[in-house]
Parts: sequence; structure tokens; C-alpha cells
Amino acid sequence: MNSSLFSRQVAALRRFAGVLLRHPQSALGTALVFFFLFLAIFGSGLAPYPNPNDQRHDVRLSPTLDIGALQLGAHPFGTDRLGRDVYSRVILGAGSIFRIAGLGTVISVLVGSAVGLYMGYRGGWFDELLGRVIDALLAIPALLLALVLVGIIRNLDFEIGSWQAELADNVVLLVIAVLYVPVVARVARSSALDIKTREFVEAAEIRGEPTYYIIFREILPSVIPALVVEASLRFSYAIFLVASLGFLGFGARPPSPDWGLMVNENRGGFYQLTPWALDFPALAIALLVIAVNLMSDGIRRAVQKGN
Amino acid sequence: MLKFLRRRFVFFFFTYLISSLMIFFLLRVLPGDPARVIAGGREATDQQVEQIRSELGLNAPLPQQYVNWLGNFLGGDWGKTIAFRGADNRELIVQRSVNSARLALVALLLSVPLSLVLGIIAGLRENKLPDVIISLLTLSVVSLPEFVTGLFLINIVALGWVRGPLAEALGWWFPSSSAVPANASFYEMLPALWLPAFAATLVLLAYISRLTRAGVIEELKRDYVRTAALKGIPYRSVIVRHVLRNALLPTVTVIAISITWLISGLVVIEYVFGFPGLGSLLIAAIERRDLLLVQSIVMVSVTVILFTNLFADLAYAALNPRIKLG
Amino acid sequence: MTAPLLDVENLTVSYRIGKRWIPAVRDFHLQLAPGHIVGLVGESGSGKSTVALALMRYLGSNGRVESGGRLDFAGEDLLSKSDAEMRSIWARRVKLVPQNAGAALNPSMKIGAQVTEVLGAAMGTGGAEAEQAMLQIFHDVNLVDPEKVADRYPHELSGGMQQRVVIAMALITNPELLILDEPTTGLDVTTEAVILDLVRGLMAERDTGVIYITHNLGVVAQLCERVLVLYAGEIMEEAPVEQLYALPRHPYSLGLLNSVPRLGQSKADSRLHSISGNPPALAELTRGCVFADRCEFVIDKCRVEKPPLEQLGDGRAARCFRWEEVDASFLGPAVGSSEGERVLQRDDADTDTLMRVTNLKKHFPVAKSLEDWLRGRTPAPIRAVDGVNLTLRAGQTLGLVGESGSGKTTLSRLIIGLQERTGGQLELLGMDIRNSVRERSPDVLSKLQMVFQNPQNSLNPYLSVRQALRRPLVKLRGMTPAGAEAEVAQLLRRVNLREDYADRFPDELSGGEKQRVVIARAFASDPDLIICDEPVSALDVSVQSAVLNLLARLQEEHGSAYLFISHDLAVVGYLSDVIAVMYLGQLFEVGAASDLFQPPYHPYTEALVSAIPVADPHHKAERMLLHDVLPSAQRLPSGCRFHTRCPRKIGAVCEEEAPPWREVEAGHAIRCHIPLEELSALQHSFPRSEEIG
Repeated sequence: MNSSLFSRQVAALRRFAGVLLRHPQSALGTALVFFFLFLAIFGSGLAPYPNPNDQRHDVRLSPTLDIGALQLGAHPFGTDRLGRDVYSRVILGAGSIFRIAGLGTVISVLVGSAVGLYMGYRGGWFDELLGRVIDALLAIPALLLALVLVGIIRNLDFEIGSWQAELADNVVLLVIAVLYVPVVARVARSSALDIKTREFVEAAEIRGEPTYYIIFREILPSVIPALVVEASLRFSYAIFLVASLGFLGFGARPPSPDWGLMVNENRGGFYQLTPWALDFPALAIALLVIAVNLMSDGIRRAVQKGN
Repeated sequence: MLKFLRRRFVFFFFTYLISSLMIFFLLRVLPGDPARVIAGGREATDQQVEQIRSELGLNAPLPQQYVNWLGNFLGGDWGKTIAFRGADNRELIVQRSVNSARLALVALLLSVPLSLVLGIIAGLRENKLPDVIISLLTLSVVSLPEFVTGLFLINIVALGWVRGPLAEALGWWFPSSSAVPANASFYEMLPALWLPAFAATLVLLAYISRLTRAGVIEELKRDYVRTAALKGIPYRSVIVRHVLRNALLPTVTVIAISITWLISGLVVIEYVFGFPGLGSLLIAAIERRDLLLVQSIVMVSVTVILFTNLFADLAYAALNPRIKLG
Repeated sequence: MTAPLLDVENLTVSYRIGKRWIPAVRDFHLQLAPGHIVGLVGESGSGKSTVALALMRYLGSNGRVESGGRLDFAGEDLLSKSDAEMRSIWARRVKLVPQNAGAALNPSMKIGAQVTEVLGAAMGTGGAEAEQAMLQIFHDVNLVDPEKVADRYPHELSGGMQQRVVIAMALITNPELLILDEPTTGLDVTTEAVILDLVRGLMAERDTGVIYITHNLGVVAQLCERVLVLYAGEIMEEAPVEQLYALPRHPYSLGLLNSVPRLGQSKADSRLHSISGNPPALAELTRGCVFADRCEFVIDKCRVEKPPLEQLGDGRAARCFRWEEVDASFLGPAVGSSEGERVLQRDDADTDTLMRVTNLKKHFPVAKSLEDWLRGRTPAPIRAVDGVNLTLRAGQTLGLVGESGSGKTTLSRLIIGLQERTGGQLELLGMDIRNSVRERSPDVLSKLQMVFQNPQNSLNPYLSVRQALRRPLVKLRGMTPAGAEAEVAQLLRRVNLREDYADRFPDELSGGEKQRVVIARAFASDPDLIICDEPVSALDVSVQSAVLNLLARLQEEHGSAYLFISHDLAVVGYLSDVIAVMYLGQLFEVGAASDLFQPPYHPYTEALVSAIPVADPHHKAERMLLHDVLPSAQRLPSGCRFHTRCPRKIGAVCEEEAPPWREVEAGHAIRCHIPLEELSALQHSFPRSEEIG
């Protein structure tokens, strides 16, 4: 009996994809994002040097391209000053940025929606108090808060192998989740405030439905479009933030193949020596940020049209 | 109006209070012992740690520590730095804040008019060629991370692209690093400001122009625009007198919010360009584990942001007749 | 006829939807002479606003007038005008008064500046001269205190005042043509009456040609000389107003006129006539007659060939092959209800008391202002409902009427438990029931249900009809999933929907169908009382009557009681057994529906009744107009709450003492200082349906 519901969802998804992909910019963005996602998942199989820290002490090479064979040479993006293959490191770097930014976004969207929906639907002192905390959190610039949190947690000494150390290793991911929970909660809350005045919610109340039913069954479906838009926006900011933190030395630790870190390691005087070791990761960041922005812009448009 | 003012002020103090609580406790209740961190980690002797603890008043109960700390902060006693050879925190922060403010000012002066113009053009020509170009530009190139654009700018200059005859005729040249002395005067600093300010401008440009565009598009759909057009007044008057008047009202708020963005952006930009501002100080302070300095810097940023927001709210209320006066 | 001011022929207007141009208005004709008023009647989607904009030649970039048509204004071809020429015509000769005056005014500009701007554009007048002209026109439209109004911003004016300002803006250049597009939609009947009166008075003095667009047949009857009936973008019929109401020549006009309940008509006498089905979507138009699918006169020819707009003589025209046969008798008598049963119920005044409402109150606290803080005082609360006593009887309908802001909706929400009362008692079948739905037992919940105003938002867009109906069956009637499944089909049949509707989602239903599902959902728990808050006001006229009939039939079958709220007195009168009149949180008159429209009535009831635009051109009653706006429920007038607006105020006693309840007869009471005999002597009887036509 749910076949009609299922086919409706398929149709809605198809419509959504249609609007998203009809627009050339957002189609391009979406394609690029999926390309990077592909790299992130299968990177270790694709990279010529699956260990990002393989060094060839004798060589510091510029990019090569074997045009005759129509294939990439041994080091298509060259090697850095330590003799590491930049091409492999860029490919492997996709994994870490997607893991941190993607997982951080997912956690923040899940937690933030639940909190925000509950706040919006129940209202009262709980909403009032939490609302103030969220306002206060949002008054602190995200990057500042991230820097402080990462910096402090990093500097604490933990027993190696303890859960705290484990936590500290994933600190950027956690910080992103923590930073964006209030932002998502605010969006979910205002959507819930809007939806809860609709008569179908009142009809459920008149039936005596419990709170969880009203929130998840009656309100949530109507809020999902707004949450999808917000999630795509959060993802683009998260990538931005992960790259910036990496660059500032507060992200992955060397010698990880983190794009931001690679840019930072190869700037200044080293840039004259091996410009490609900076250019390619910087280009990768630029492309991914632009792609995610284009995609999230397209998602926003498609969702608006769907309504 | 009174009601509005009261609500705004209550909101301001409440938010300030909670922010300060969070800043204080985040840095205190995290696992680990700040005194030991300051003393130098695991190698420090217990005696050293104990000394630092009593010096900083860390033996008092947490709530009292908070009250002491907030009282000292509001009273202007921000303590001495550990990282910068015992310099006074407040002097250091004020000096660096002035530098950051100069940078921010130049960036705002460049970006606000430019982004308003771009936003208005894009909004009036929705989905036409100018809009597509401006939107694509603001969405992609300009929303890149600051360090990417910053490095790009530095490299252009390093390659000598901009050091042409024009720049020399004007008597300027753009240093690829903005490493000027922290106590330089505004005039001395000006040549070093342009490049980081340009990077900061790009950060704001995307944000403000996109919101302006959305505002214009939204207002154009309203019924009163039709009323105005059917009065038979020229299109230009319809736009200037009716549409823009309403579309630009929220801009005050938009600019205030963009200050929050700018502060984040400046941290990266100052780091990239080696500019002696508050952002680079913060990174140094975190790296050197100077807790008190970090707290003070974050509190200063929050203060600036909250005051800007308060001011913007008041300005918006004063400009917007829909918020009742009297 | 003098030389026409407006001469429109064969006008077709299209909108771009996606990549296609879809003709929203087809083959439109209109001739208008100076000083005349023509009415344009149509339901939503009939294209009437499109006509207004096309006549103004203001269609925007996604609309266009197709070639082949003619649009002549005072002998000039508007379609060939340049933008600059159009601007000068807009500036002084043609004016549009739009729907929703509040949105049509620039929110950040003072009223005065917006009005004088018109003069600047029209004739270059400015400064003191323009100021003078503005004050004069404000005076003409009865705006009290013109200088003050000019100095205000739009949001500081009431809806009625905003509407007057917009009318003043249109009239200030003394235009040759005035188009009013639903100028009173969204206003209360009382305000509507005042605005209509104003328009009628202003037009009598001028030589302006007026096109009045509305969905309300009563307004047209009261205001216009000629009527065009528009349906799905085409003119169905054109006729002088008296003739149309006496003998419509198109099945659609006929159906429309008969589907509106007349004042005094009751569910006990007859069912309403209703037009089955729904208006076609623009994209699915066929080559035949647009009305064929809903027409009772339909023949095969109608489906394959589009009837022309045939001239019938006497200035009449109809787009129907069978216009000569159209006659009210063809429709046959509306399906009558089982008379005996109704009479029995009517007589049995002592049916069981279902619910007793005692001294019910809802006061919304007001936040303290800074001044209040300083002076240490608490501001007066908003008294939305302030001491209401009511008795609802099993199987009967209690109608609740009053202007918006009178507290009717709050009262209904207190009873259903969506809001918590400040004081008073609710007894259901002799037992006290609790405040809010959260505290009520499933047994109580299942006995009370609600039908909402807006069918659009009453159904969760992500749940199918089946899911929406099954939930209350399982939840409140404890059915098994299998049992509920069978019952869903049963429920759908009872609200005249096919069983396969169970698998549809709300966006696949029309407004009327949605409301049927909502009604089915309300009946699912087999309730004793259903609260109907404006259940038909969001529906088109041609769909309304079917829903009203459904409600009447279901009541008969189930014996459920209704608390029926509506601003439309005729609708309330049709469905109710007892009517209560509410003003500023209190009841002022309660009585049997049949008695309420006869003197003596409370002066407020009298004003409400006389404000109704009656769908009969011969009925030119003297109206009792209510000026001023409803006072704030925070600062209630002393004494009788109605005294600030009461046209029959007798003196200081009204300001000082709360009026007593006076009983006219058993079950009919009026709360007024004026003795009943005096009221009777002062008041006119209102014509009932028997006297019309």
C-alpha cells in the first residue's frame, strides 16, 4: 500500500534532480562534488603511491605528463621538497576533508534538527533558555571558537591510546559538529514554528497524539526541504573551515596529506622552489569549495521550486 | 520604541553574560590542568604548578574564579601575558585591535559600496546576463577560503604583475608581506594594508552582494511596486524612490552581521600576510598556551560583535517606520 | 449609448508557464460608457484579475496580449501605445484600485508623500497645491482627520482606512476609467458596507467609467448596472443586473445564483443547489465548452464545439448553445431533507444538553513596557473571551457570528482545548472537562473534533488520504488496522468521494475535495460535537454549497452537534438552529436562527444584518453603517462594550452600566439597555428569501 508513497518520493526526487541538473552551473558543481567524493572513497586505490609519505630522497621533480602515451607521467603534479608525490597526496587528501566536513555536517544536522524541532514545537522556558545559549554561541565567530577549542584540546596531554587522546585526534570533526548544531537548530526551530501553526498539526493535537509523533510524523516531513538546504550550506562552510584550520596548522598534523596543511607547508620561501606543491592542493580546495557552493545554490533553487 | 529598546538591551546583556560564561568555562572545564599547561606540561614540577595556580587564583572555586575574571575584565585589568614576556595584555590587545580595525575599515569602505552596487544590478536584472555573471562571480571566485585568495594575491605581486609603471607613478608598491611594525601609524601602514584589505573585501563582497540581491528581488515582487508603476512615474523613480528604499533598509543589519564574518576572515588573512593584528595575536596566543590572553581576545571580539549588532538594531529601528516610535 | 469609453473585443491574454504560453483569458469583450458601472464576477482562477491588468496593459514580462484583439480606450488603441504614452495614461486617465490595500502601499513612505506623488506624476502639481488637493480628496472619501492620516505610515492605519487611501489615490486625478479589483475582499462585512456605500456615492457625482471586479454576487447586485460572468477565462454571460438575477441565461450563472444561501434560508427547508465538480485547470482546456463537465444542460455538441458568445438582444449575451432552455425549473427542486424528522427535532427544544459553557474567559497577558516596569504596574490583559455562557444541544448547530477580532475563534479554541482558558467551566455531557488537549482523556478527545478554515493547511501534505483517515480510527476508536482499512472506504463514501481517493495526496485534491477529507477525518472518531471554524470561507462559491449540504446531511445521519463559526450571516443562518452574536469577547444576542433575522434585534446584530450585500438588485435597504473600528480588547469600553459604535446609543447609561439580558421569548435574549418594544419599533424587518424574486 505504500507503493504510491514510494513512487511519489521517487518522482519528487527525480523532479528535484531535474531542476538541479537543468541549470548548467549547478549541474557542473554537482558533478564535481561527486568526482571528489569518488576520489575520497576510492582514493587509496587510485593514487600511484598509496602511502602519502613515500619519499624519494633523490628527486624533487616538476610535473610531468607523458603526452605520447596520453597518460600521466610518474609524477603528474610533481613532488614536493621532501620528494613526496603531490598527485597521490592530493588524491588522498580528498578522503580526510570529506570525512571531517561530511561527518561533522551529518552529526550537526541530526542533532541540530532534533534540538531545534523540539524547541520550536514545545516552546516555553526550554526554548527560551536554549535560544539564548544559541544566540550567545553565534555571537562568537565560528573560526575563533574552532581555533580556541582545537588549540586547547590539542595542547592537553593525554595518555596515548586513552579515549581522550582518541577524542583529541578527531577534534576538528567534533568542533565542526558542535559549532553547527546551534545554527542548524535555529533553522529547524524557525521552520517548526511555522509548521506547528498549520491546522494539520492542530488536528493531531486534537487527536491527542504524543509529542514525538507530532514532531517526527507531522512536522518533520515539511521541514526536511529547509534542512536539506541548510545541510548543503553547512557542508560548504565545513569544507571551508576544515581547509582554513588545516592551513593555520590547527587541522591535521603533519605529515598528513591534508590540503590546507600542504598549502601552508609549501608557502613562503618554499614556493619559489616547488610552486606546484602549493598550487595543486590550493586548486583542489578552490575547486571543491566552488563546486559545493554551486551545488548548494542549485539545491536551494530546486527545493524552492519544489514547494 | 521603549519596549523595543528594552528588549534589545536585555538581549544584549543576556547574550554577553552567556558568552562570557561559555568562554570562561570552555577554557576551564576541559580535561587537563591549565596551570600545568602554562608551567610547561608534564616536565614541570608540582611546586611550579602550585605556584602558578595560586598566582592565577586557580585554587578558588570555579564560580568565584569566573566572577573575579569577569570583574577584572570589565574593570580593565586583563592580566599579564605569558607568551609575550610579561607585556600587559590590555596594551597588547588594544594595539593589535587598532591595527585590525584599520584593516577592517579599509575593507568595509571598499566592499560595502561595491557590493551594494553589484547586488542591486543583479537583483534588478534577475536571471539576465548581468545577474548570472555577478552571481557566478560572487558565488565561486569570491567565496574561496581567504588563504587561497590571499596566497593568490601575494603570488601575483611576487611575480611582479602589479609592480608596473602605474603603481610606481602613484608612489606605492605592494609589499607581498604586510609585516609592518605593530606600532606603525595609519599612514605608515597604508601601503601594507591594501593587499590584505583587498582579500578581506572579497570575503565581504560575496556575502553583502548576495543578500542585497535577494532583498531587491523580494521587494520587486511586492504589490506597492505595481502601485508605484501605475502612478505613471518613470521606472527609475519607481526603483530609487520605492524599491531601493525598502530593499536597502535591512542592509544595516547585513553589514553588522558581516562584521562577524570579517573577524573570522581577518584571523586567516592576518596570518597569511603576517599582519600584526588581533587575529595573528590570537593564533600566537593559542600556540603559546596563553590562556588569559586567549580569553581576553575572544571577549574583545564578542564585545565588538555584540555592540555592532546592538548599534545596527537601533539604527534599523530608527530608519524603519514599521517599528513604532514613541 | 454614448461613445464608449472602453471598447474591448476579442481580447486574449496569455501567461508563460515554463516554455508554453497558456491563454488565461480568451475572447474577452467589454463595452463601457462614461459614468457607468459594470461588474465582473468570477471565482478564483476565472481570470478576472488578469483582465484588470490587461486592461491597464500592465502584464509584466511573463504575460502578453495576443494579437487579433482590440483594446480601445476613449477612441485610442492602447495596444499600440509606447511605454511612455502608457505612463501618461496611467498617470491620470486610468486607475486601478487593487486587492489588499495594505500591501499596495509603500510601507516605508508616509501616506501624504505617496498620494501627492500621484499628482506630481499626473500634472506636475506639488507643494501646497498638491497638499490641498490631497486633503480635499481625503475628505471626499470620509477619512477622519486628513492631516493626521497624511502624516502616518500605512501600517498605522486600519484595513478600512488603507482601502480609502487607495481609493483616494485613484480618484485624485479624476480618472476617466476606474478598475476596482476586489477592493473589499478581506475586510469585515461592516467595513465592506461602508466602503461600498462610499464607492456608490462617489460614482454618482462623477463621470467615471467603473469596472468592479468581485466574486461576491451580492456586491454586484447592490452596485452595478451590468454584469459580466467570467468562468475559466471566458465570458459566460453578460446582462443588465436586474435581468441576470431575474432570469439567468447561462447554466453557470444559474447555478452560481442558486448555490448561495439566501438570508433566512435554512437547512430545514431545502438543500442548496450546487454545481458539481471543480473549475478546469488552465492547462487542461479542451476545445469544447469550458463549463461542459459541470453543466446540467450539457449535450454532446458542447464537448466538441466551443459555443460563441451569442447576442440575445436587450444588451444580453450568453455563451451557451441551449440558452433558451435555461430556466430555474429545469434544475428541479433542490433535494429536500426528510421534513418530518427535522420538524421533530426543531420542536424538541429540550434535547439533551451536550455541552455547557459557563463564564468562559481567556485573557492574554500583555508584556510589561519599560514604563510599566518603572511604575511597578501590570498592564491590562487582552480580554479575548470575557465571560461567555452557552449551551450546546445534541444534534443541533450553534452558529457564532461577529466581526474579526470579536473572539469567536478564541472561544472555539478554548472549547476544543487548543488554548487554555483563564477561567470558567466546560461541561461535556454533565462532566467537567479539562483545559487543554494534553490533559484530556481519549474518551473526551474522541467526542470533540474540528474542521478548519483553510483546507490547504488542514491536511499534512506528506500523508495520503488513507493515512490521514486511518490514524483517528486507530487512535481514537481503537480499531485494528484491517478494520480501519474498511472504515476508510466507508468514510470516503459518506463524504461523496470515490474510494480510490484513499491513495491520493493532498496536492492531488481540489480545495473542496480537501475539505471533504477533513470533514471525513473529523467524523472518523464519531464525535458528538464538531467545531467548524469558517469551513467554507476559503472555498469558491460554486464549491461552498456542496460542502454546506454535506455538513447538513452528515449531521442528520450522525446526530452530531456543530459549533459553526462564520462571518457570512447567510451561511450561518442556513446551517444553524441557534445563533449567538459575539462582540469584543462577550455575547450580545442569542436566539433561534429563525428569530434572529427579525426585529427586535440587538443594534449590533442589526448592523451586521444590514451590512450584508444581498444578491438581489431590487433590495435597496437602508443600511445601518458602523463607522470606527473595533476597539482594542485590551482597553475595553466601559458600560456596554458596543456603545462607542452603536448607532442607537441612548445616553449615559450605555457608557456607565453593563446592559442587562432581556428575554424576547424562550431561547431568544438580547443584551441591551433599550427596551425590546422600542427596538422593535425602530427596526426594519429584513426581507426573507420568500420575498425575493
